[in-house]
Amino acid sequence: MRLTLRCRVTLSFGFGLLVVTSVLAIATWNLASGYMLRQREVSATRQAEVNVRLVERSLSSPGLDELLTGLTTGPDSSILVLSPAGMVTAGRAVEPSQLPPDLVRHPPGQERITVDGRPVIAVTRRVAGDAVYVELFPLQQLDRTFGFLGGVLIAGTIASALLGAALGSWASKRALKPLAELSSAAGRIAGGDLGARLPDQDDPDLAALAAKFNSTAHALEQRALRDARFASDVSHELRSPLTTMVNAGAVLRRRREHLPGTAGTALELLTSEVDRFARMVVDLLEISRADQTDDYEPEELELSALVRNVIATRWRAVPVSATPVRVRGDRRRLDRVLANLMENAERHAGGAIFVAVRQDGEVARVEVEDDGPGVPEALREQIFERFARGRPGSRGDDTGSGLGLALVREHVHRHRGRVWVEDRFPRGARFVVELPAITKS
Amino acid sequence: MCVQVLLVEDDERIRQALSLALSDEDFTVDEAGSGEEALRRLETERFDVVLVDLTLPGIDGLEVVRTLRSRGDLPIIVVTARTDAHDVIAGLEAGADDYVTKPLMASVLAARIRALLRRRGPTRDTVRIGDLEIRPQEGLVHRAGERVHLTRTEFRLLLELAGAGGRIVTREQLLQKVWGYDYFGDTRLLDVHIRRLRRKVEANPDDPVLVLTVRGAGYRIRS
Repeated sequence: MRLTLRCRVTLSFGFGLLVVTSVLAIATWNLASGYMLRQREVSATRQAEVNVRLVERSLSSPGLDELLTGLTTGPDSSILVLSPAGMVTAGRAVEPSQLPPDLVRHPPGQERITVDGRPVIAVTRRVAGDAVYVELFPLQQLDRTFGFLGGVLIAGTIASALLGAALGSWASKRALKPLAELSSAAGRIAGGDLGARLPDQDDPDLAALAAKFNSTAHALEQRALRDARFASDVSHELRSPLTTMVNAGAVLRRRREHLPGTAGTALELLTSEVDRFARMVVDLLEISRADQTDDYEPEELELSALVRNVIATRWRAVPVSATPVRVRGDRRRLDRVLANLMENAERHAGGAIFVAVRQDGEVARVEVEDDGPGVPEALREQIFERFARGRPGSRGDDTGSGLGLALVREHVHRHRGRVWVEDRFPRGARFVVELPAITKS
Repeated sequence: MCVQVLLVEDDERIRQALSLALSDEDFTVDEAGSGEEALRRLETERFDVVLVDLTLPGIDGLEVVRTLRSRGDLPIIVVTARTDAHDVIAGLEAGADDYVTKPLMASVLAARIRALLRRRGPTRDTVRIGDLEIRPQEGLVHRAGERVHLTRTEFRLLLELAGAGGRIVTREQLLQKVWGYDYFGDTRLLDVHIRRLRRKVEANPDDPVLVLTVRGAGYRIRS
């Protein structure tokens, strides 16, 4: 999985600052610790030389022990005087074997060594010809200082890495804020809110993007408005002459007996085609409006009552078996769905013979059955297409608009439902509409 | 009975075709080509019903409906080529009793006109609901002793609800009984009329106490 841009910026800020501060910390450590160690060595050497001179003067006197005890600087320091006559020590007890032999054999010298697990600076000097003066200066104090210094440097490094990450996160969030706004505005436009715009940007880098986005959104909105206005104009311009034609046709049809023979046949042809044309235009306008959301008004309704009501308007003879089931839907559209299915059955199968409404788990089912010729398997998808015709059994007297079932599918989909046709036993077709039912009371 | 219809329509061909077809349905049709002409004629002449096209030059159809409604309860049917929800609702809110969309059949229009003009037999006694008094015989409604002016459709709607005596009346029943025509339940037609009725009879139309909505079923009057 790829990390998000913000995550990557945060990580690289954190990592970059970690590298920089650790280099600085290591350099600081090296310089500071080296310097402090050297200072300690210099002071140890100087002290040892002063001590050697004191020891030289009283080497053979019996007060050497006392002198050495006085010279030790603390419980952790040790002084050894090795002479051919024997060894005198003071302070912390140290065996000569614990010291590096080369250092003891060839004074003067100095070395950092570890005795009994304690870091010390050992300084050796020759005293009065054949004796060797060895002093061990403890470095514990210095070590503690080093420990503290190291702790501070590590903590500082970690803190600065975290700070870097926080800075990166903040900076990327700030830098990406316009992008988040852009994404939200684009989302609103995709969701149908064509009025969504980006706020004006002060930053010249972003102003261009915002302006571009806003002008695109504006163009889109204008275009949608133009399309809607055009559809509305088309609707108006088509409906007006159709009104004239349909009504003039009705007047003529009433006087059919005055026009015998060829003229009468032509009149019938003309008026029936005008009626069909009118239906087609109305359906076409409705289907082209189907994806507009403006008049979709879903409400909670009783599907069985709605179905009974539609059947009662024109198909009183058709038996209905309806059990109560509630759905959320647009009454007008669902009326239309059922009426179109009934008209379809009338047109192609001699009328519906049975209508059922029931709840089937999570869905409400409406079934319209006929005992016509049925729909061959190959056409079961196709009949729901716009202007799909040629269902067997429909001869040249088809008076439908060719859009009835397409409208059914359009409206059912709008309700997040499904519609299909299946075989009915022993003959005929069953159109099934499934809509999401309201299951909770 | 000869019903006098005034057809207000600016498209001359539609006007002619509709008058011919409506004459075939036994109506006497007078024509007006503009809102101004219609309002002028309606001041002096008597009509039983007015058909108004919403898109008129000059005074537009909505204004004609509003003016007529302010003058009285003359039945008005809006004829419109615009089927957008807000156009239909605007027409009904302005005071129309019903609406039809083009292309309309004269036979359909005739059925609507007859339903609109049909009067119930004066069989019912005075009904009282709260401070509302309905006298079906005289077609009068009083609220707290004060006369409330209802259009013919609003009155019939109120009477249907009151007649059920507190039982639920479904939308379909109301549409069938008030508008008298078996067409599919257009929620807008009923909703707008209920809204108009509430504005007139309720003390607070936003919080109705007389005309109550029964969600998913219909309406009922407070019993």
